[in-house]
Amino acid sequence: MDLVDRYVRAVSKGLPEEQREDITRELSEDIRSEMEDRQREMGRELTEAEQEAVLKQRGNPLLLAARYRQDQRSVAFGGQIIGPVLFPFYIKVLSFNLGLTFLVVAIIFTALAVSGQKVGFNYIVSTCLLQLFIQLSVVTLIFALVERHLTKHPDRWHVKGMGGKFRLDLNIERDIQLRIGSNRREVSRFESLSIIVACAVAIGWMTAVQNFPILILGPAAAFLKLAPIWYQIYFPIAALTALEIVRAIINLVRPDWVRFRSYYGVFVQAAGLVIVYFLIKAGHWVEAANSGASGAVNFARTVEIINQVFLYALVGTAVFSGVMILIRVMRLVRQPHGHNGPAGVGARAKEGN
Amino acid sequence: MTTYTVYRTVCGVHYMTPGTNNHELFENLRLELRRGSLVLAVLAALRKEHYGYTLRKTLSEQGMAIDEGTLYPLLRRLESHGLLVSEWREEDKRNKRFYKLSADGKEMLKQLLTEWQGINSSLNGML
Repeated sequence: MDLVDRYVRAVSKGLPEEQREDITRELSEDIRSEMEDRQREMGRELTEAEQEAVLKQRGNPLLLAARYRQDQRSVAFGGQIIGPVLFPFYIKVLSFNLGLTFLVVAIIFTALAVSGQKVGFNYIVSTCLLQLFIQLSVVTLIFALVERHLTKHPDRWHVKGMGGKFRLDLNIERDIQLRIGSNRREVSRFESLSIIVACAVAIGWMTAVQNFPILILGPAAAFLKLAPIWYQIYFPIAALTALEIVRAIINLVRPDWVRFRSYYGVFVQAAGLVIVYFLIKAGHWVEAANSGASGAVNFARTVEIINQVFLYALVGTAVFSGVMILIRVMRLVRQPHGHNGPAGVGARAKEGN
Repeated sequence: MTTYTVYRTVCGVHYMTPGTNNHELFENLRLELRRGSLVLAVLAALRKEHYGYTLRKTLSEQGMAIDEGTLYPLLRRLESHGLLVSEWREEDKRNKRFYKLSADGKEMLKQLLTEWQGINSSLNGML
């Protein structure tokens, strides 16, 4: 996939679906015509740097795509929080998150109802409202931060294609040579920052869950509690998450250490698989909150159903993790050595920094 | 508009943006002025058939430089209003989308030109 295709693909992600193919064909043709013109003037093929300059002149793919959209909706509260450029992505992410959340809530309530528990309408409404509030707040906050970043630095954009990632790092202050290739040669600083924030939030949430199981069990926390295994694995999970923060900080400082990130990813995934193994081995993951005889009897069926769901989820997670580890290891084995990582000092030296 | 009103407007704009560089202000107002003429320029240029890139080049050579992020959405808008017709054709072994004025587009161009000439003569009278 050449540079023009990758740029056009990045633009296409923000285009209205019904016009996507038409616009991308026309845009691709426009760019190629311009490049041909320049080639005719220069009497030779354009170098990669010159092609990148042509694309850079076109501007941020997201901003370009936004100009084709009739839909100029945004999120505002006083001032604009999320502009028309990011709004379609915001809606997609929010819809997906809410859909998944309500699906999980529906499964829990169905399990409770099937097990003969009375589930009040108030409970259902309050749970749904709480989840709606949490998702809305978190997703809006993240997108508001991205919007701020985009507004302040419209020229710092990265063109990522699907399958064979292309990166166009236009950090003007550094003015280093632009890196292009079918593989990522740098870890996005934005990605590293996002991981730091997400992991910090995750650690906070996991810590809160220890004392407030309602955060994970919802209304079922009134008569269910987490099994001891969750408290036993809290520190290993928190430690792994903290190590991921450390890794992201290292990549923030050394974004060219892509191979380091790949090795690290395999290690974290393998450690996660070990944790999942111990979780599966525990055999049960929720218990009746009322440990008396009546509590155990009343909620036995509920506990059984929820533990069954946990078992399927954990086994699925183990299989998925195992497959991902294999894929990552195969990718690492296939990647040429000395290609981005602590060993990639030579590549860094070329930057002239 | 009287000369006094024009003067107050210009001074008001200047006062409202105390920190604004005059050059920056000129650029903003210049862009607004040019933006208003864009539709007319595009319709006029499409009296002859063009595809996107040659249309951009023609406009640029005539002093109406326009970036593709503005031009192509404008062409789509004009086409959706029935003022333009387009078709994909192969030229130089590549598929290109050619635009030209529709019958409605020609009529609209005539009306807009009349309007433009009216504004022009009014302004000439004032200036």
